Amino acid sequence: MSQPVTFLGRAEALIGTHEADAVDHGVRNFLELREKSVEELPALEGLRDRARAIRLHALRHLDRLLAHFADQLQAAGGHVHWAADAADARQIASDILDRTESRRVVKSKSMVSEEIELNAHLEALGLDVTETDLGEFIAQLAGDTPSHIIAPVLHMTREDIGALFADKLGVPYTDDPFQLNRIARAHLREVFLRADAGISGVNMAVAESGSIVLVTNEGNGRLITTAPRVHIALMGMERIVSRWEDAAVVLETLARSATGQRLSVYTNVITGPRREDDPDGPEEVHVIIIDNGRTRILAGETAEILACIRCGACLNACPVFRTAGGHAYGSVYSGPFGSIVTPGLHGMDPWWDLPFASTLCGACEEVCPVRIQIPKMLLQLRQQAASEGRLPGWLQTGIVRYARTTVDPSRWARAKRWAFRLTGLIATGGWIRRMPGPGRGWTSSRDLPRPAKESFNEWWRTNRGS
Amino acid sequence: MDRDSFLTRVGRASLTSQLPDPASLSADLPELPPADLLILFRTRSQTVNAVVHGPVTRHGVPRAVTGIATGHDASSFMAWDELPAPGVPSALQAVGMERVDHLVPSERRVDHNLGYRDVGVGITGAEAALAESGSVVLVHGEGRPRMASLAPDVHIALVELDRLDRTLAHWARKNPTLITETANLVVVTGPSRTGDIEQQLNLGVHGPRHVHIVMIK
Repeated sequence: MSQPVTFLGRAEALIGTHEADAVDHGVRNFLELREKSVEELPALEGLRDRARAIRLHALRHLDRLLAHFADQLQAAGGHVHWAADAADARQIASDILDRTESRRVVKSKSMVSEEIELNAHLEALGLDVTETDLGEFIAQLAGDTPSHIIAPVLHMTREDIGALFADKLGVPYTDDPFQLNRIARAHLREVFLRADAGISGVNMAVAESGSIVLVTNEGNGRLITTAPRVHIALMGMERIVSRWEDAAVVLETLARSATGQRLSVYTNVITGPRREDDPDGPEEVHVIIIDNGRTRILAGETAEILACIRCGACLNACPVFRTAGGHAYGSVYSGPFGSIVTPGLHGMDPWWDLPFASTLCGACEEVCPVRIQIPKMLLQLRQQAASEGRLPGWLQTGIVRYARTTVDPSRWARAKRWAFRLTGLIATGGWIRRMPGPGRGWTSSRDLPRPAKESFNEWWRTNRGS
Repeated sequence: MDRDSFLTRVGRASLTSQLPDPASLSADLPELPPADLLILFRTRSQTVNAVVHGPVTRHGVPRAVTGIATGHDASSFMAWDELPAPGVPSALQAVGMERVDHLVPSERRVDHNLGYRDVGVGITGAEAALAESGSVVLVHGEGRPRMASLAPDVHIALVELDRLDRTLAHWARKNPTLITETANLVVVTGPSRTGDIEQQLNLGVHGPRHVHIVMIK
């Protein structure tokens, strides 16, 4: 986690840096791709309604679906584990690796794995852990955390990556993306084929068949579930749908929203371990179903956020994310959905300020493939933060006084007169360029017009009223 | 945590859950006639950098596949045991390509895996092709290794024309139980790709750099 403890602190350290610029640039590209793909298929709107219905249905019947999924997966020869929290999940994973004598571990991108901080745990046990998604591999080499759920090293330039490869992999420096790709492919190919165990996330589980679906573009998600003896899948407990055809609908909306693809390159459907005569595939498949705060979200006002399919579209659409970048959120889950998920999973302390990192412009809800009402929930969380007395004193009392003033016409009129008089001290030419105190942040990037001497009401009484 | 306490906790949380009611369901995309499906499949495959060949007759397949493989200067190949057209492996061997066998993995798993390291071409037979996304569906199992579409630099998928469907959702609805009959099924949409370095498109990250789809009449 980053050093400053508030969103504002982290964001101020990032805004204007080359990292934030790189994120903004990269995200625009995603937005264009998504728009193109949406234009091409007017039926996408219908697809979104169906995806939403499918996800909400699954959440309503979550306990039943999970039980059915577990039964089906066990019938197919797989193992199911239940983890109440992050420590549980880490312990289950390392126990499996220990029992199967797995020392070399390959991973495909998994947000849940970051959430439970699995890598540090496994490395502390002396295991050899390699991230295999190209972006995650680069982040791991750099000792950095991912800054975007779809493009983990959106914040790095090709020169950064070239220097990193030269330093860590001992290859001659190049900043040609194609060469860098070849280097990573050659390096990781050996790692894949020699690995004992593969660890992945789960994009979607299918209750009726006990299958898990893994989506990747690079093929690493297939290699880590094909070559090693053991496959461990980390699954947030909400990532489930009833039927295979439901999964198909959600997968189509996922790819279009994430990267503008019609489908991701590899949609990998795994139903248990290798069957007897199969020429490849793991001997053991373990799915760890993880709660870690999710039941708390499910029980409350923000339950709808569990319908999220992790496409990243809301990040790309968000003006705050684009200005500050993913690291400003200080959590694995960034952007608009992260501002709801993070306080939900880990509590309001110290995450209460994330719901305030939004302009409430509504762009996130507009692009969300499952139409999650993100702004509404951000407001609910803001309200909760205020009612728990978490806001800074000036803001808390300021808002209460403001509310009291606006509902009383005579107080309002008095306040306006004072505002006009006081701003006369700092305004020039009708504009306030710098406000004192907490207002300073507001005027640091824009000017504020001085309040009018006469209100519209007063003007109307004098000029038109009779 | 044990299963029962985990699920009880989830069930209890659902009781107080405040979830909105979903909107009514709108219909799926309509079915398309076969001729339109093929046209759509060609265009969409092209967008994802896959190359569509044919339709060729069943007897023309070995020749088409050999042409593709030699075009990539490949010296070895692996192929599924059963393909929708006969004579492909022998035709490749006839032009001097070495066949890499797939065996059920033994105790020496790593040696088994390393055997696939340098295979040039992998040949598979698709269960279905999806027009809207330009994808092929591969169902793995006995004699049908996953590695054939994964380890080599070039993947050639053979698919019969009447196996074209519109979208994954269409196909999934018609084949609801297929995923329980196999430990692994994969939908392949073009060659392996990444945009992780400055969002520049890079093909062949971990999987094949070239995907060819041979349509069979």
